[in-house]
Amino acid sequence: MFNRIFAFLKKDFLIESSYKLAFIFNFFGVLFSVLAYFFIDRLFGNKIISHLQEFGVNYFAYVLLSMAFFSYIGVGLGSFANRIRSEQVQGTLEAIMLTPTKITAILLSLAFWNLILATLDLIIYISLGIFMFGIDFTKINILSTLVILLLTITSFSGLGILSAGFILVFKRGNPVSWIINGLEGLIGGVYFPVSVLPAWLQFLATFFPVTYAIRAIQLAVYRGYSVMQLAKEITFLVFFSLFLLPLSLAFFKYALKKAKINGSLTQY
Amino acid sequence: MVKLENITKDFFPPLSYYDLLSLRWKRNEPTRALDNVSFSLPKGKVLAVLGPNGAGKTTLLKIISTLILPDRGRVSVNGYTSASDDEKIKSSLGMVIDEERSFYWRLTGRQNLEFFASLYGMNNITIKTRINVLLDLFKVDYDDKRFDSYSTGMKKHFALMRGLLHDPELLLFDEPTKSLDFAAASSLRDFIKATLVKKQGKTIIFTTHQMDEALDFADLYMILNKGKMKAFGTLDELRKKLNHPDGTIGQIFLKLTQENNNV
Repeated sequence: MFNRIFAFLKKDFLIESSYKLAFIFNFFGVLFSVLAYFFIDRLFGNKIISHLQEFGVNYFAYVLLSMAFFSYIGVGLGSFANRIRSEQVQGTLEAIMLTPTKITAILLSLAFWNLILATLDLIIYISLGIFMFGIDFTKINILSTLVILLLTITSFSGLGILSAGFILVFKRGNPVSWIINGLEGLIGGVYFPVSVLPAWLQFLATFFPVTYAIRAIQLAVYRGYSVMQLAKEITFLVFFSLFLLPLSLAFFKYALKKAKINGSLTQY
Repeated sequence: MVKLENITKDFFPPLSYYDLLSLRWKRNEPTRALDNVSFSLPKGKVLAVLGPNGAGKTTLLKIISTLILPDRGRVSVNGYTSASDDEKIKSSLGMVIDEERSFYWRLTGRQNLEFFASLYGMNNITIKTRINVLLDLFKVDYDDKRFDSYSTGMKKHFALMRGLLHDPELLLFDEPTKSLDFAAASSLRDFIKATLVKKQGKTIIFTTHQMDEALDFADLYMILNKGKMKAFGTLDELRKKLNHPDGTIGQIFLKLTQENNNV
């Protein structure tokens, strides 16, 4: 299985590196979005300082970490569906499906490259935070942060694989992605803490893993919370992982079978 | 080697927005792509699948290669059945997809072959050796150029090489010489006949619209029309069946497919 995953990584690297300007533009994309939040903080930051007290940071530091971390959420959430769709549209999915490669290996391979890209994004965000804006990351609890990262990827992978299953059958109009993308930014605490929201939206937010993931990463990085101190958030993320991963794998297998029955595996 | 028993496949048209909105979710009438198709192809034999457009030829190949599941019936390749041994079937067959888009255009031909070879579980040394053997076999020296710079004929060579990477016993071709010019088509036919059939003894199933191509290297013929297998056998067997002792494969094809259209 590792050889196959490595083959996908090598292929993705070769393709990505053939677009020579992409990395540079990605860097500037991150820089510009960071700058936008920096000025938003200068304009409105003081208005929500009370909501940020538990994290011990200002708005800019909060949103910078959320944005950096959001790439990891995107790995779990979007990479499976996006990559399946991309292989479908390119026309290479059929050729891949003709090889004796297990579905789990294909899914893992599709996500790995995005994981590397997300890590690069994370490094850019954090480097800009440290060297350009002087954000203090010295309180970080490395173990908690790694646990949260891992659980975030696994729980969001569940949603991502569900999403990929929809893509296999319906090609477009993926309801999982629509619900998650539409709601997570709004109520998950990515762009502002959940406490800013009205009570009923805060209640709704408790049903989304993003809420727990963002809160936990903020506390682990800026307050140095230990795994024990983050037990509630970790428990929820473990629950989401245990619930969503088997469900989504079963759904993906069903979707693949359905696409093979419909003869639509490679249609887009 | 390859055995199909009572393979039936229906394709249902998707529901329209009107059907969806008016909650009429009953499936529309299906198109029967294959109707109770059964045959057995021994090892080392070459089968030409003939039929007009929409006869079910490509569906047949995709069912054998496990890309499409049949609604009824059983497929077995080398003793493995598609219901339980998908991966073993995939390991023992090479389907030559000549669809240009089934390659990564920003990679070189060699990088494409290396990628697909890895998916067959081959190690790096075997991959290198095998690719060099294939490049020699096809007299290809443009493997380090990007795939998007290749002509149609060059792309076809890479499609064939990809199908042969893991040295499968069974090869499936969907219209092998489609969109090739005369010289390239003849050269490809010669290669299939001399190397794959005579020298390597591969079992081959190929679809074609060209009767001379079928006659060139097929041992057995299947004539499909509207999903139904109208005939299967050697040319002599088909002649006998139709009571047409001097009939050419083209005449037999027309007789069987037009008969059906008149019904």
